Amino acid sequence: MDFIPQYLFNGLVVGCSYALIAVGLTAIFGLMEIANFAHGQFYMLGAFFAYWLTRIAGLDFWTGLAASVIGVMLVGVLLERTLFRFLRGASLSSSVLATIALSIFLENLALNIWGPRPQKIISPFESGGIELLGIFTTPDRLSMLFLTFLMVLILHVCLRHTHTGKAIRATFQQREAAALVGINIDHLYTLTFAVGAGLAALAGVLLGTIFVVQPSMGGVATLKAFIVVTLGGASSFAGGIAGGLLLGLAESFGAIIAPSYKDAVGFILVILVLLYKPNGLFGKRT
Amino acid sequence: MKAAARLSSPLLLGTIGLLLILPWLIGAEYYLHIAITALVFVILATSLDLLVGYAGLLSLGHTAFFAFGAYAAALLYLHFGVPLWITLFVSGGFAALIAWLLGLLVLSVRGHRFVIMTLVFAEMGRLIAYNWTDLTHGQVGLPGIRPPVLSIPGLVHIDFAYRPAYYYLALFVTVACVAIIWRIADSPVGWRMLALRENERLAEASGVDTQRIATTAFVVSAFFAGLAGSLYAHYNGFISPDLFYFSYTTTMLIMVYLGGKGTIIGPVIGAVLFTILPEALRVTANFRLMTFSLILLLLVVFAPEGLVGLIGKLRRRASAGEKAGNA
Repeated sequence: MDFIPQYLFNGLVVGCSYALIAVGLTAIFGLMEIANFAHGQFYMLGAFFAYWLTRIAGLDFWTGLAASVIGVMLVGVLLERTLFRFLRGASLSSSVLATIALSIFLENLALNIWGPRPQKIISPFESGGIELLGIFTTPDRLSMLFLTFLMVLILHVCLRHTHTGKAIRATFQQREAAALVGINIDHLYTLTFAVGAGLAALAGVLLGTIFVVQPSMGGVATLKAFIVVTLGGASSFAGGIAGGLLLGLAESFGAIIAPSYKDAVGFILVILVLLYKPNGLFGKRT
Repeated sequence: MKAAARLSSPLLLGTIGLLLILPWLIGAEYYLHIAITALVFVILATSLDLLVGYAGLLSLGHTAFFAFGAYAAALLYLHFGVPLWITLFVSGGFAALIAWLLGLLVLSVRGHRFVIMTLVFAEMGRLIAYNWTDLTHGQVGLPGIRPPVLSIPGLVHIDFAYRPAYYYLALFVTVACVAIIWRIADSPVGWRMLALRENERLAEASGVDTQRIATTAFVVSAFFAGLAGSLYAHYNGFISPDLFYFSYTTTMLIMVYLGGKGTIIGPVIGAVLFTILPEALRVTANFRLMTFSLILLLLVVFAPEGLVGLIGKLRRRASAGEKAGNA
């Protein structure tokens, strides 16, 4: 049973990346009512931007990280101002299909630019493991945990205590009423979209130092993020974070039982949640 | 609807005539291969149209039913020598059964959750086909599925491994499937599906058992996808877990949207066009998927009614112009 803390830790690290991606997805879904199937591509783009900036352009890791997150946010703003304006108020199937098309487009764009070979982002830390309370880990993994918690904290504070945060929460609850009291919905959408894209990009860069970077990673991330949103409930930030950690942990322990069916764990979880708590584990009753 | 059918009946007869003499027109084996592939996709696109276009349930797992059907046919043929005539129905039935079971779980939800569940389901199917190596040989796939031989001693002997023969077989099966799907779409069952798509609560208030009609749409569309899987497996002779890939579902959806969803005839046109188009665009192989996704994106945003909708719009404009000219 010695290995249990280790699996717990591994699950937590992967879960952090799921949470970072899912928070943005939840925000976009809850606020704009668009199921963005291209969201995972922001994660992929973030990783590739950082790979390109650090390995080809020669920037150091932290500058590369910041630049790639900002770059992806700009891509997000651009998309929100164009395509997603069109999709606002469109039917679910239209927005799903359009974003799927966007997702395929971005993935193949990356394939054409960077090629199909898995790449790696060079970590800023010295290689070598750390042993902590019987858990074997690396500095990359610890920084993943640390940065996720930092981001969640910043998000929480912003949402609770800033004017914009309050406006976002108000819009989340009642869009029309929020617009009526003078909240600029357009600005809010752009901001939310940019932040969501940026968080996904951050997850991509951080995970790119631990695992590999390849064009197909975005599609998988989208699927996982939607599983998380279904688990956590589509209407709460906390649900997105808790759902992400839960999925990461469940997959980690699922891998002990049946390694080749690790990815099926999410499916089983989603079925159980849909059967017993159709609004998600942390969802509000509608 | 009736008027439209009457108007296009000379066109319909012409098309059928053309399809019948096609092997003489396009001699080359390669073109016949494209024609058979197009026929398989016609079944897939029209069956998906019943679900997406009529019942309004966006499924991202349609290719899983196709793949399950193909695997059922392959295993039955390889282990027991069951010919196509039987595997067509068994594959369809198998896919329908899976759809029914899955429907018990996923049809209780609508909207994005249904979409996700179907997507995850297809991914599960791929995992099973990939990992259950004793049965499916995993990524290696299953080769050696032969087309049937129709042999009545002293009367006929047709080996469908002969490509033109398989073309006629596929043509017959496809026309029969499309005719049945059309009948369903244009029946009270189809109208209830439309009611479900337009407004589920209103449909329910008008006495439509929406849960039942959603299940019907799901199961029927899976049946035809499974049947198409058998038709494909016996033709191609080899299947692998790749059939579960999401790109197949995307292809089917493009066909449905390109032609015009909720029209049956639209997806038929879409399937034919979108099987030929990629072959014609071979030169830009690298940018193929980029081009396709761009097409889909533009279609969804600017022409959500597809080609059929565009033609209808043009025709209406033309007839309006005529009236103005007469007056």
